[in-house]
Amino acid sequence: MSLAAEAFVSQIAAAEPWPQNATLYQPLREDQILLSDCASSLAVQAYLRMCGLPVRVCCRANAEYMSPSGKVPFIHVGNQVVSELGPIVQFTKAKGHSLSDGLDDVQRAEMKAYMELVNNMLLTAELYIQWCDDTTASEITRQRYSSPYSWPLNHILAYQKQWEVRRKMNAIGWAGKGLEQVYEDVSQCCQALSQRLGTQPFFFNKQPTELDALVFGHLFTILTTRLTTDELSERIKSCSNLLSFCRRIEQTYFEEDKDSQSAGSQYSRGPSLF
Amino acid sequence: MKTVPSSTSDATGRSHVLVHAVSRASGKRMAAPMQLYCWKGDYGLPSVDIDCLTVLAYAKFAGAPLKVHKLTNPWRSPTGILPTLQTRGEGSVSQPSKIIIHLRKQKYNADYDLSAKEGADTLAFVSLLEEKLLPALIYTLWIDSKNYVDVTRRWYAENVPFPLNFVLPNRMHAQRLGRLQLVREDPALEPGEQLEQELYQEALECMTLLSQRLGSQKFFFGDSPSALDAYVFGHLAPLLKIKLPNRKLQQYLSSLENLQFFCTNILALYFPSEIQAAPVHTAPTQADGGDMDHEPHKRWNQVMSVLFAMGAMLGYAILTGIITIKSAHPHLQESRHDDVDEEGEEED
Repeated sequence: MSLAAEAFVSQIAAAEPWPQNATLYQPLREDQILLSDCASSLAVQAYLRMCGLPVRVCCRANAEYMSPSGKVPFIHVGNQVVSELGPIVQFTKAKGHSLSDGLDDVQRAEMKAYMELVNNMLLTAELYIQWCDDTTASEITRQRYSSPYSWPLNHILAYQKQWEVRRKMNAIGWAGKGLEQVYEDVSQCCQALSQRLGTQPFFFNKQPTELDALVFGHLFTILTTRLTTDELSERIKSCSNLLSFCRRIEQTYFEEDKDSQSAGSQYSRGPSLF
Repeated sequence: MKTVPSSTSDATGRSHVLVHAVSRASGKRMAAPMQLYCWKGDYGLPSVDIDCLTVLAYAKFAGAPLKVHKLTNPWRSPTGILPTLQTRGEGSVSQPSKIIIHLRKQKYNADYDLSAKEGADTLAFVSLLEEKLLPALIYTLWIDSKNYVDVTRRWYAENVPFPLNFVLPNRMHAQRLGRLQLVREDPALEPGEQLEQELYQEALECMTLLSQRLGSQKFFFGDSPSALDAYVFGHLAPLLKIKLPNRKLQQYLSSLENLQFFCTNILALYFPSEIQAAPVHTAPTQADGGDMDHEPHKRWNQVMSVLFAMGAMLGYAILTGIITIKSAHPHLQESRHDDVDEEGEEED
């Protein structure tokens, strides 16, 4: 979004309080959604729950095309549509809800840096494993991505998306990395997060911030998603404090869903960590 | 391919700089030192390329004995890209992160004293640099039209040997523009006011965050420099030293004094020879002024070439008879009239 548009949106956002009928759109949970999209969506849901803002999750097959930036998830609040965690955080800040107000400058710098680390390493690794690893791409990703469409559109869309992602990997220099190297990078990232978390309940001690939401979204999704191998989740399980961090957030913010679990459960994608 | 010296006064094809520092691995036999190939330096910097600066700085911090080859032709490096480290038997390594990992394996480790948390912070801040600051740097050096034409392309065209200097700058420009388009996921991305604003805003935020993290310390983690210092130095030093016509990003940096001091400190401590050898580059503020300063003979060349062309045309005209020259002597005035009459009759 251009700066002028952002300022305009902020102004409009500040005018109205958070409505009750805010909706979050993501691809179909059972058949279509991919690891990276699910992680991003869960991160946004966690963040909104941490802020105490109610949101309804709605699954649509064409969520990616509905989104203003082409990325999922996006939220529909009042008469505005905002996609991706960064802009959503700013949007809620304009409405007066923020998790990172209590941080001082150095802490805010660290929070932004760690969020970039997660985006740079974890998200890119997820995309790599989904689309650039041939086994995963052919067995899981392509089928899931194009499941709502009929032949020949499913082939065309799947290969188009794969080609796009591979070009991007090429541009940022990940194309030459092997799968083993990518797993190593994920390990390194998890260890860095683990070091930063230490024994604290959240990354910045007592209060959760958007960093906690982002890390939870990615780690929880990786731990509860079945891929061709369990290598990725094993690497995360080796950091025990991250495991307990995910459990803690699940218990605190997603507890009520466990009680009212039915076929139409709001968020849980598969097995939980309990 | 023989490197042709370029026209600027102090450009040499190659210079060998042997870096001997206290070797941490004193038991090792220093058979053949590792060789680092990187871009040549200018503007008071050891190298003009961001990645090369990062690697050079880290090597100095870690005390790694490297034989540094300063090149202007990337094809002369073992892998075809710069920077490249040629190791003692394990082939060549080319990206800065891989080079630093290799140096660490060889026990040249500037992060030895860092705690685990500081190591984690390093990773995080490097990611921040790559995501927020690097796109703006690439934009200001390579994509912004004025800066690219006046400074970057000119430097590469003058320093890269013939005939690569016609091809390489444009290719590097296209590569970087393509990469920016892919990363921003906008195939129709063009340099413009809006894109510039967005990128510079993010870069300003990133630099402010770095400045807040650095505070009043000498280096990011205490008194001795580490890998993060090398990365930050590599990214900020070109911005500090290269004089660009479109100075917005540089103005942002100059408002953050501790970052400025950080860079000049590292340059003074670890690269003192570069500062002494820095030539004075006049920033090309006006195209005419710049041209005149750079090529004092240009006007003379223009005049001479025009005279030569006119002389050649005149000579051709005389030889083929389009113009005839009659010798005019005062005492032959009457006969001249006759000659003119005769010629007039002949022409008829």
